[in-house]
Amino acid sequence: MPNLERYKQRYGLVAIDGAMALIVILLIVQIWLLSATLETFLAGHTGAVLPATIFSGLVFLGCLVLDLFVTRVDQQSRKP
Amino acid sequence: MPLLRSPSKEPLWKDELSVFTSDERYVTRRQFTKFLTLASLGMFAGNLWILAKAYFVKAPSFPSAAVCEVGEIPVRGAKLFAYPTPRDHCILIRTGEEEYVAYSQKCTHLSCAVYLSAKEDRLECPCHKGFFSVRDGSVLQGPPPRSLPQITLERDGTRLLAVSVKGS
Amino acid sequence: MHGYEFYVDPSRCIGCQSCVKACEECETHRGTSLINFDFIDRGGTTASAAYVCWHCEEPTCAMACPTDAIKKGDDGIVQSSLKPRCIGCSNCVLACPFGIPKIFPEYEQMMKCDMCYDRTSIGKRPMCATVCPSQALSYVRPEEIRGRREKPTNVFQFGNQKIVTRVHMMVPAETDSVSMDVLDYMWEESYAAFAQP
Repeated sequence: MPNLERYKQRYGLVAIDGAMALIVILLIVQIWLLSATLETFLAGHTGAVLPATIFSGLVFLGCLVLDLFVTRVDQQSRKP
Repeated sequence: MPLLRSPSKEPLWKDELSVFTSDERYVTRRQFTKFLTLASLGMFAGNLWILAKAYFVKAPSFPSAAVCEVGEIPVRGAKLFAYPTPRDHCILIRTGEEEYVAYSQKCTHLSCAVYLSAKEDRLECPCHKGFFSVRDGSVLQGPPPRSLPQITLERDGTRLLAVSVKGS
Repeated sequence: MHGYEFYVDPSRCIGCQSCVKACEECETHRGTSLINFDFIDRGGTTASAAYVCWHCEEPTCAMACPTDAIKKGDDGIVQSSLKPRCIGCSNCVLACPFGIPKIFPEYEQMMKCDMCYDRTSIGKRPMCATVCPSQALSYVRPEEIRGRREKPTNVFQFGNQKIVTRVHMMVPAETDSVSMDVLDYMWEESYAAFAQP
């Protein structure tokens, strides 16, 4: 059914666009986190570095999960 | 990369260079998403590097240097000196009869030289009106983000020695 | 597209070559005809056949193109080569089972029928189908073609490759798919003779 394929493709693209937007937001958070960590470290407060790094790692895992989601949606909506 | 891509009957090159125009939109989005994830990994790696520096790199220690004689400067007076290298300008302030404090003269905002304002009893930066406390070098007002690095002083007989830098 | 399909019936072709002249008038390639017009056996018969690009589901020309210059759109039309990408290598010419793409050495480009995309995309007929007097090339709704004795098919067998196309060919009613293997058209007696050890 050609219509079902078009429908899947269109909603697949919407899902991918949404995931991409989320990744961009996470990336902005991570950029700020990196700059704040660097500033805190340069000021001499080394206590905040470890929690910041752990949180950065979690944000990266979030981005990775979204990337895997995008790959999955991409494969599913283009299945012949 | 079989780890991140579930097995499909199409080889990767056929997928990425598909002859169907409808697939091109997917390929560009997929590539952009992968690039963003890589950027995220880069940020995380940066954070890890800072962590490594914080825990594994010891702050360098410098030999102590004589600053001045005890009683050389009056109470609520200041003297400029250089520690640890001749390019690191510092300021010594006598806050009481037997109390001395010393800070790096570089303002933490944009490195202008701070001076002691005896009238206001604070260290002032002339560039953007940043004010620091004489007690501990913390920021009272203005754009500086951090407190002034403090120079640890030691009394050696009648001399005052600068032994280390804290918080720079 | 827009409910119309393209039907090719070589048995109706009278060799007038109106399609060849009309194709030249298409805006996108003015002056160059992209119809594949053949005389079947020039010395022996007046039979002729005109063909357009068959717009296969999985276009072999596109698969063979080393520069990804041939694209198939969402509407199923295989476009002619993209000008910035085509290098004139003739891979598509060799790959196409029907022999449709043409190389123009003076431009170092391949050009082929794109079903008059500037016309069919807005609901008009391709130039060749508009002018063909015997409607050997016709662009009509499927209901109209049912009136003919022949039936349309769009499945071709090319050796091991099964090709499904967008353009239909009119074949005798009992034929399901058209084979392009020479052996399938040889008389049984003559190739049984070759098969003797």
